[in-house]
Order: sequence, then structure tokens, then C-alpha cells
Amino acid sequence: MIVITGLRKHFGHVEAVRNVSLSAADGSVTGLLGPNGAGKTTTLRMLSGLMRPDAGTILVDGADVVADPIGAQRYMGLLPDSRGLYPRLTPREHIRYFGELHGMATGEIRERSDALLKRLGLEAIADRRVAGFSQGERTKVALARALVHGPRNVILDEPTNGLDVMSTRAMRGLIRGLKQDGCCVVFSSHIMPEVSALCDRIVVIAQGTVMADGTPDDLRAQTGKPDLEDAFVALAGLDPEAVE
Amino acid sequence: MRTLTLVWAIVRKELIDGARDRRALTSLVFSAMIAPLLFGIMFTVAAERRKSADEIVLPVEGVEYAPAFVDWLTQQSGVVIVAPPADAEKAVSSRAEDVVLIIDKDFAKNMSRAVPAPVKLVSDVTRDSARPKVSRVRNLVATYSSQTSALRLIARGVAPSVASAVRIEEVEVSSSQQRLAQQLSILPLLLVIAALTGGMQIAIDSTAGERERGSLEPLLLNPVPRGALAAGKWLASSAFGCGAVLFSMLLTVNVMRRVPWHDLGIRFRVTDGELMSLLVLILPLVLFLSALVLFASTFARSFKEAQTYLGMLMMLPMLPGLLSTMYPLGGRPWLAPVPVLGQYALSADVLGGTPPGVLFYAMAGVSVLACALLLVWLTARLLRREAIVFGR
Repeated sequence: MIVITGLRKHFGHVEAVRNVSLSAADGSVTGLLGPNGAGKTTTLRMLSGLMRPDAGTILVDGADVVADPIGAQRYMGLLPDSRGLYPRLTPREHIRYFGELHGMATGEIRERSDALLKRLGLEAIADRRVAGFSQGERTKVALARALVHGPRNVILDEPTNGLDVMSTRAMRGLIRGLKQDGCCVVFSSHIMPEVSALCDRIVVIAQGTVMADGTPDDLRAQTGKPDLEDAFVALAGLDPEAVE
Repeated sequence: MRTLTLVWAIVRKELIDGARDRRALTSLVFSAMIAPLLFGIMFTVAAERRKSADEIVLPVEGVEYAPAFVDWLTQQSGVVIVAPPADAEKAVSSRAEDVVLIIDKDFAKNMSRAVPAPVKLVSDVTRDSARPKVSRVRNLVATYSSQTSALRLIARGVAPSVASAVRIEEVEVSSSQQRLAQQLSILPLLLVIAALTGGMQIAIDSTAGERERGSLEPLLLNPVPRGALAAGKWLASSAFGCGAVLFSMLLTVNVMRRVPWHDLGIRFRVTDGELMSLLVLILPLVLFLSALVLFASTFARSFKEAQTYLGMLMMLPMLPGLLSTMYPLGGRPWLAPVPVLGQYALSADVLGGTPPGVLFYAMAGVSVLACALLLVWLTARLLRREAIVFGR
């Protein structure tokens, strides 16, 4: 369960996030939808505890991210915008390193890593160094290490970015699986079909503020547009004439 | 306890990563090889030169003008007279010969009239390697000259001592040990280079490298205190630095055992104990230098940028080392608490045969460790800065 209230962040004179409040429930998928530069990544960075908001509160399963980022990080699994790997380590070693950093026991790490490698279809390349891996394989490794501690809250920043069809489908399957396990999943995207296919709730962010918040049907009804993309364009305040 | 487990996890990962990194291994091996290689060459060349001055092959032109002089030369130990080259000056300037002695055709005539008899010594003053040989020949000629003039004075009923108004008696105050120290004063510098470059690759890779690859942000998402992260990376880099210093020392000891000390005219030798003392001085310094490199490269966004910063930074610990080979730092143990400078000063005393007290070692060690911890703490603070975590 993630509850964000009145989040603000500015860089110099630019107000990247003006006023973002949202809550994401357990056992559901919440999509953060917005055009480039809307403040999605900044919001997720503050949620991750690595960036300090100017104002606002973030609670993850009751833990205060702003006051105690390290304490709150235990409840979260995050796939950030930058998902760099160590080229000389294998996927299994990546998972193990992050497991150790979460203070997990060796046996526990092994069990968990076998399960994750299987679930993500990485078994065949689990002991190969990641240098030379495809974009899809890299994303899977980054995801596997982020989920090693079995977090109840999973936050994914544009998880299907740069993935091919098969990898995208696998990612969607994983997100559905996490939801079925009762996790609170938040992901950001600007790919409409993905959002409409996966999300129970959509939060539209533009110019650093929440423009709309509801189920896909709510958003369609709110704007009177049957197509979700049209609804999004209207909600994000983007001029359809100018876009086309 | 938990923090220690975390630090160990980081150290282990960085060591595995470093051991698989060809660049890290190359820089470790290369930095360790500098000292023993340089010493091997330096001492062998020095011994060869001395040998070449003791046993000289001397081309002499105009042997027929001074048979008595040439006979005397031949009787001196280690002197072999050979036929001269066609053009003496050309032969010396083209390095075919080190030195050529030319006896003038008026030699015998001047001798008999008791007028200075002319000889020419052809040599090249710019050639260091020929210098001992040239000075040996000059001494031989001077000895012959003074012996002959002494005989002349005696023949005229004058005591030869009348002709020498002043007599120089050379008193060499530096012990052979100190003379050796002069040559060895470069050893601490070489060890500092090994310490600096041995762990540098790991320090860069685990800071600027993490930023460049975009793996820093995911790493910081783990619930690990920044201090533990910085400490782990620091210790891994220090381990490589210590490895380089130990490896370098081991090879140097081996080289030292093979140096022909007798040929160098040195009775003393560097003992293993003295080399151990150097290790006790330099190993804690590795912790400081690794922390310095780690701190500096955390500012860099990429490997290349880090190398630019470190190129400048590297001069800092090396400069006093270079200067100390010209202006010896020996006899100043109170420099001990100053990182780097203290190590150079104490090493000079160790190699000069006047080892400093245990207290000075302790002072030096505690001081560099404190400075290292300060730098690690500052690095941990840097890892909290948003500009560094997200700035790519």
C-alpha cells in the first residue's frame, strides 16, 4: 500500500512536481500515465527514497519514506529508470548481491533466485556474464535483482521500454502475477494499450500535477471519449490539433 | 554486526568484479613491476660500469713515442693496451670507443728536457657511462706524472714533499649504508606509485564506473547505509593496492638478493628487516591513497572524467617522493603525522640505517588511517547527493 500526499519538488526555477497525491492499493496495478517530462520519473525517484521532496509525505506500508528512506526501502522493489548491470557478473550473481544487501540468508537467496530465474525465463543464461545481453535480458536481470527480497510493493519505471514483443508480453505476465500474489504494483508508462490492458487504476500526470485519477472506464466517462488515448490527450491538457 | 555483513558483501562483490576486470589486473601487475624492474636495471648497470672502470681496455695512439710510459701502464692491474682506431676523435664521438689516449711525438724529447710531455685524452663529457673509465685513465696519467716528477726532484737533491704544498685527505662521513640509501631513496616513491595505481581501477570502477553504467541508482535502492557502501568499496580498492605493494616488495627483495653488491663497492646490504619496516610504513598509506582516489572519482560521471581528475591528483603524492630523491627528507621523523610526507621521511631514515622509533610508526599509521576514514565519510556523504546519484 502506497500513499503519497502533496508531493513537491523543484530543480532550480523548474517545478518538476507541483502537487502529486495518489494512493495505490494492495492486489492492484496502478498506472502512472503522462507525457515525457510530466514528472513521472521524479515522482518515482522520491518514492524510492533517493530524492528528497520539498514538501509532502510518502508512506509505504506505513513506513515514512522521507523520514527513514532505508527503513522504507525494505518494503519496496524498484526497477528504476536507469537499470545498469555489472558486465562481468552473471544474472545469478546480480540477484545474490542484492539479496545480500537486503540482509538475506544464503539459502533464502538461493531459493528465491532459482524461482525468479525460472519465472523470468533466465535459467539458460543464469551463469553467463551479462556483457552482451540483449535489452530484454538486461531488463529481466534488473527486475529479478529488484524482486529478490519478495517486496510487497513493486514500482516499475517504464518497464517495457526498449523491449521486443515477446519480452513485453513476459513483462505483462509478470505484472499480472505480482497482482495475483497481492502485491501493490505501480508502473509508469506512456504506452496506451499497455496501460489499458493492465491497470486497475490510472493516474494521469501532466506538468507536475495529477490531472485525473480513476479506472479506465472512469476516465473515458469523465472525458466522454470512448478511446482511452483520446481521453488521455484531453486529460493531460495536450491540444490534439497541435499534436497532429 | 549487520553492517559488517553488508560491508563484506560489497567488498566480495567488488573483488570478484575486479578479479575479472582485465584493466584492474593489468594495472595491479604493471604497478607492482615498476620498482623491481627499475632496481634490477639500475644496479646491474651501476655494477657493470664499475667493473668496466676496474678492467679497462685502453686504445693508445703513438705507443712508439713513449715505450717506458706504455710499459708502466701495462703493468698497472686491470689495464690492457690495444691498438688505436684510425681516427680517435671520430671513434669517441661515434661511441665506438669510450676513451683514447694519444701520445705526442715530442713526448720523449720533452721528457728528457724535463718539460711537461704532452698527451691527449679524447673523451666525451656528456657520456655518463664512460665517466668512471675516463677518470681512471686520468688518474693513471696523473700518478705516472707525479711519480716521475718525484724521481726528478730526488735526482736534484730535493725532497718530493717540497713540491706538494697542500695535501688533501678525504674523510667521507656518509656511511656506505647512506650512500646506498641515496640510490634506494627512490624505493618509497615506487612503492607509493604501486599503492596508488594498484587499487585505482577498482576505485574508479566502483564509483565513476557505477555512475557511467547507470548501476548506482539501483544499488542505492537497497537498504544499505551509505557509509557501509563507501567502506566496502574503499576496502576492496585497498586490498588491490596492498596486493600491488606486497607483490612489488616481494619482487624487489628477490632483485636485491641478486644485486652484485661487491662489484658496487658496498659492504652493507638492505636487510629483509628494513624492507619489512618499509611495508609497515607503506601498507597503511594504501588505505589513505585508496580513500583519496575513491573520493575524487565519485565526483566523476564517467571513467574518462575520473582518469582526468586522477592524472592531476596522482602528482600530489608523487611530487614529495620525487623531491625527496634530490633533497633527502631523512632525519625529520616529526613529519610522521603528515600523510605521504611522513612516510617518505621515515622511509629515508629506515634506508639510511637510522630506524625511527615505534612511536613514529604508530603516529604515521594512526594519522593516515584517520585521514582515510575522513575521506570515506566524505565519499558516503557524496553518495547522498542527488546530483551524484542521478547526474549522468
